[in-house]
Amino acid sequence: MDVSQYLEIFIEETKEHLQSLNEHILVLEKEPENEATINEIFRAAHSLKGMAGTMGFQKMQRLTHDMENVFSEIRNGKMKATSDLIDVLFKGLDVLETYLVNIQSEGTEGDYDSQDIIDALNQILDKGSGKAATSQAVQKPNDTKKAVADTGKYKFLSISLEEHEKMAVAKAASLNLNVIGLTVYIQEDCMLKGARAFMINRVLEEHGEIIKLHPSAQDLEDEKFDFDFSAFIITNETPDKIIEYVMSVSEIKEVVADYIRLDENEFNTYMTAIKQDEEGTSAPKAPKELDSLKEGGPKQPKQTGKPVANRSVRVDIEKLDVLMNLVSELIIAKNSIVSSSSAFDQQANPEFFDQIEYLERITSNLHESVMKVRMVPIESVVNRFPRMIRDLSKTLDKEMELFMTGEDTELDRTVIDEIGDPLMHLLRNAADHGLESREERIKAGKNPVGSIFLDAYQDGNNVVIEVRDDGKGIDVEKVKKVAIERGVITPEQAERMSDKEIIDILFVPSFSTASKVTDVSGRGVGLDVVKSKIEALGGEIEARTKKNVGSNFIIRLPLTLAIMQALMVKISSEKYALPLGNIQTVENVASKDIKIVNNTEVLDLRGKLIPIIRLGDILDCNKGEDKDELFVVVVKKGERMAGMVVDELLGQQEIVIKSIGKFIKAHKIISGATILGNGEVALILDVNSLI
Amino acid sequence: MQIIDLKLGQELYGIDIRYVNSIIVMQNITRVPKAQPYYLGVINLRGEVIPVMSLRRRLGLEDDVFTPSTRILILKPDDSSESVGLIVDEVNEVVTLEDDSIKKVNYDEKDEKAVFSAGIGKNGDELINILNVPAIVSEKNV
Repeated sequence: MDVSQYLEIFIEETKEHLQSLNEHILVLEKEPENEATINEIFRAAHSLKGMAGTMGFQKMQRLTHDMENVFSEIRNGKMKATSDLIDVLFKGLDVLETYLVNIQSEGTEGDYDSQDIIDALNQILDKGSGKAATSQAVQKPNDTKKAVADTGKYKFLSISLEEHEKMAVAKAASLNLNVIGLTVYIQEDCMLKGARAFMINRVLEEHGEIIKLHPSAQDLEDEKFDFDFSAFIITNETPDKIIEYVMSVSEIKEVVADYIRLDENEFNTYMTAIKQDEEGTSAPKAPKELDSLKEGGPKQPKQTGKPVANRSVRVDIEKLDVLMNLVSELIIAKNSIVSSSSAFDQQANPEFFDQIEYLERITSNLHESVMKVRMVPIESVVNRFPRMIRDLSKTLDKEMELFMTGEDTELDRTVIDEIGDPLMHLLRNAADHGLESREERIKAGKNPVGSIFLDAYQDGNNVVIEVRDDGKGIDVEKVKKVAIERGVITPEQAERMSDKEIIDILFVPSFSTASKVTDVSGRGVGLDVVKSKIEALGGEIEARTKKNVGSNFIIRLPLTLAIMQALMVKISSEKYALPLGNIQTVENVASKDIKIVNNTEVLDLRGKLIPIIRLGDILDCNKGEDKDELFVVVVKKGERMAGMVVDELLGQQEIVIKSIGKFIKAHKIISGATILGNGEVALILDVNSLI
Repeated sequence: MQIIDLKLGQELYGIDIRYVNSIIVMQNITRVPKAQPYYLGVINLRGEVIPVMSLRRRLGLEDDVFTPSTRILILKPDDSSESVGLIVDEVNEVVTLEDDSIKKVNYDEKDEKAVFSAGIGKNGDELINILNVPAIVSEKNV
């Protein structure tokens, strides 16, 4: 069956339904009487079952069917959503997710058999409602018979057949075959009615030949019909049998069918015509629709002929990558025009410079638009966390709650794809190591239910995600002890290290303070993996902690990965780019104002002492003469500030970030390179890592 | 085997042509602080940033003196990997060597630079030291 063109839609929508089920079942657990939630669950489960059925994924269909039975009982008030039941339902969702993953990667559901869950569900059903549940996803064809009296439903009767179609009817009658007309009503909440119609036609074709479809096969495929369509079929079967076959496709509301007979006059006319025809050309003219259906549906250039109501387009991320690359190239080209235009006299060519300015504006806007297209709300990653925390709460036997804010904060798609795992890891850490056991919390006078917070917000050119808990905080002494034991630091070093530096050891590879290795976290790969992942995304992570108040992991990520605004500076004779997002101010400072405190150079910046970093020294640049006046670029990271000494300011520029490759090593503050207007390469300095 | 025949001072070296993507004239090199000493920095090759290495420094010879005949060979150590530039004094020609004219040389074990040679080829009267490109690019042999 060719439903592959629907597979992507199926996967996307199944994901959405599963997510919706996860969320609503969580709500249901807290508010078992919430009717809106139950209805929502029922709706999602029902659509899921229907779609799985359409696509021929039977295991999925069967499992959702049984889950739906349970939801139906809950909805009818015959059962209560107990914690046991919720557990089973979640297990069911997990299995469905596994199926989906398999379908996505291999195209099939895989071997996993969900019988145990189905049994568990049925057991609960039996117990809960006191009646046996059917465990097979079979629709009852008898239901439809009730409606037979309603002749208004026999829409096919009012469809007039064309000459050649009547001829086919007459011929069939002469061969003692039945001609049956039928009208199929698809359920109004059906998601893929085009696919549904396609399946029905397949079923019909198995039992006969379709001579007419109304609307046409093409319209059916393009979903250009309401929820019903009619068909005429030549078959050996009776109308009742045909109804039964069609009803075996799920999401069918109703089917009506009856024999089609021509009156005698017409029959005789056509029979004579057929006879004449056979004498002339031997092959009878095949009805048009039949032809096209036999070829597996008309293969016209695929139109996404959906109604205009849908205003969004699904685009492959690779296409967006290509677009982003082209925009990058454009910006480099623009920069080189700007740089060569500096040779012209601005007074003499005012129009030229107007146009250049215009070009700069357009490329900036273009970049911004492409960037926005690539932005996805962080919600798509974090919405699975409430469920995870619930599960953790059970496995760890700790009561806890997750509070999330800023789910609508947007990040580049590439970042979104990668950020899920690190966040999950931090949340697990918070649940496992951060939060105390219930008894400890009561002893400490805290709310026995622990809280974990996940806050996302935009801060300048960065997006900040904080994972916070109100647990016992990081035990600095313990970290110190373990670090010495593991040989990460020497006892002497430990003496001299500040608490902050000790906490940073947590990010050193293969360091885990969990005294007990649990299933949840502490498998040796830990925060160092989180850190390297976040750094690979151009971000950074910082830990803060307060004893008995809790820990806070702060992740900063760049809004965009490819293009940014930078301040171009000269250090010695070399050009460098400083990301504008971090820069607070640029100061012109007399060198005598820089004082030495505790062996470090500091500057009194309007009442605040900030450390001074001479970039030239760090980057091993050639030393120039000492100057009386210095340019100090003031950079801020979180609460901390520092001043970077540079030799010359070259101005602000939009730069395209390029990697310098894996072969060459570089100072850690070099985060990449960019190509300047004149073709030279300038390195990008991630000054944040110096603060 | 086809090799690109190149010169460092008076000595001839060869690089298997399969590794060579292009040969370009000397460019402005941007120094990269704290890079390995034999990496002189990065260049812009048609919009891509590519690290360039001094073959002289890598082989422990005297430092380069850039002349009009100095060239950068753009190499791809393997199909999937990134490109890397190799600065040489002079590129001569492409020569074809028969496999049996290439001899493995038993260097002194202590000579850590030995891994950089894939063998000595004979082209007429001339001997060509064929370079082991993966070893030159790889970090293990520092």
